[in-house]
Amino acid sequence: MQITEVGPGFVGDVTGIDLTKPLTQAQVAAIEAGMDRFAVLVFHGQHFDDDSQMAFSRRLGELEISSGGEMSRPEERRTKIEVADISNLDQHNRLRGADDRKRLIALGNRLWHSDASFRAVPAKYSLLSARVVPGRGGNTEFADMRAAYDALDDATKAEIEDLVTEHSNAYSREMIGFPAEHYGAENQDKLRPVRQRLVRTHPVTGRKSLFLSAHIGSIVGWPVPEARAFIRDLTEHATQPRFVYAHEWKPWDLVIWDNRTTMHRARRYDDLNDVRDMRRTTIRGEGQTAPQLQAA
Amino acid sequence: MTLHLTPLHPGFVAEASGIDISKPLTPDQVAAIERGMDEYAVLVWRDQPLTDEQQCDFSRNFGELEQTLIGQMQRPEERRLKLIELGDVSNINAAGGIRARDDNRRMYALGNRLWHTDASFRATGAGYSLLSARIVPSKGGNTEFADMRAAYDALDDAAKAEVEGLVTEHSIAFSRALLGFAEFGDGNADKIRPVRHSLVRTHPVTGRKSLYLASHIGGIVGWPVPEARAFIRDLMEHATQPRFTHAHVWRVNDLVMWDNRTTMHRATRFRDLEEVRDMRRTSIKGTGLTAEQVPVAAE
Repeated sequence: MQITEVGPGFVGDVTGIDLTKPLTQAQVAAIEAGMDRFAVLVFHGQHFDDDSQMAFSRRLGELEISSGGEMSRPEERRTKIEVADISNLDQHNRLRGADDRKRLIALGNRLWHSDASFRAVPAKYSLLSARVVPGRGGNTEFADMRAAYDALDDATKAEIEDLVTEHSNAYSREMIGFPAEHYGAENQDKLRPVRQRLVRTHPVTGRKSLFLSAHIGSIVGWPVPEARAFIRDLTEHATQPRFVYAHEWKPWDLVIWDNRTTMHRARRYDDLNDVRDMRRTTIRGEGQTAPQLQAA
Repeated sequence: MTLHLTPLHPGFVAEASGIDISKPLTPDQVAAIERGMDEYAVLVWRDQPLTDEQQCDFSRNFGELEQTLIGQMQRPEERRLKLIELGDVSNINAAGGIRARDDNRRMYALGNRLWHTDASFRATGAGYSLLSARIVPSKGGNTEFADMRAAYDALDDAAKAEVEGLVTEHSIAFSRALLGFAEFGDGNADKIRPVRHSLVRTHPVTGRKSLYLASHIGGIVGWPVPEARAFIRDLMEHATQPRFTHAHVWRVNDLVMWDNRTTMHRATRFRDLEEVRDMRRTSIKGTGLTAEQVPVAAE
């Protein structure tokens, strides 16, 4: 297996390995070492189906169920619940309509975020497999939160060191005018904000990074508008072109990213006319980044 | 005295000198300033100490003054400045002290840190705004400007075709909701009702097209709201790239005037709980609707 650096220093292009076949422990360790060094790894020509993607993903840790899977009824799902359906298709494999509720929720993926930062134990890796890609657009962009942290001045580093933020899916969706009520009464408990440190330290490399996400709605102890204005400024800083890599998908690409050290977002494409079918598996994180409020 | 202009970027933002703007101007001087605004969209005047009355007098050369929204929403006893035409862009309360961290007026003013164009939440928008610096903080508190003509020009043909003819809905409530603020007070419901604007507008003098963007936008007519917001965010990001923007670092007695029809602007952070920033804004009424409005149902 060889890794070649592409883009601004945090993305590795990997060749010489077939992830659909059983891997040795040494191969898995090499992938993990690559993830620690780069934060995003790109593999080409990996002909996964959902089962082989799950099997490979489990070598990297325990799978977690996506919020989209958790919040949908079984008859609405096109995939197994461990495989998040990142597509513009409904359960009958038809393109979703302009006003389709799931389409509107999915538009939140166009905001910079870190997967499952709205969970008390946020996600570790995400693995996204491209099955069908649109003719144009639909890139995924990644931003390096370690480099973004490093580039802050000392005063800002000191200011943010111990800040704790509150994350909820409801906040990111509110930003694009999708009301929390539209998630349905049965899902309101999944929208309860959780707390995360704004600066986190990678358990292996010891590098600090900004833990930012569109899911942030406030900073503990701050007035909400002041917190949001500040988080917007930090997000703008952290997503400057010098920290960003844009991945142009080809069928059977697999991209793995570390949610602890990166943000990502999807870009626009002609989703009412062109199919984009991606499948995501997600590896559970190792622990909380901040103490949670006890539920009343 | 004749106007002298020094461009700070090609075709965008010029430093203006050669005229004392505290004194009455000749029609030729006014016309020269307007030509400068048509070309550069933002003019920066240095070392122009002004009283509130002088600022209003200078501003009236360019049209009728409009009252700022915050002036209209406040009760008289909450106002620090006598003239309602003067927008109090400061962190000072009516008693003369620095506003507390959770002061409602401070929360509202934080919305100025989002890219916007003044009064786009009014059916006629605003023409020029003129901001005079009386006290500036030692660090931060810049005003950044973005050129919406250059941002439009840089769109590819497919994007230009897509945005042409789109109509957006603007309200002060949309920009404030982005920051989690909704406390506009009783009796102000009519002032947060959305108005409609063309997304692409054409300057009446130069004929140049520009993007009419603002954080006050909450929807595009005929689009699902989340799709509209995601698209507007993408356009905002495009339009505020460093190549289209200029950061003005304030000195006391600067006056900066900008054309709200062709620019966006925003304030940047400063230590507003410790330092004073006292700026006064006048705005010129916009000259017409950019889109047909929805008639308000009789109440």
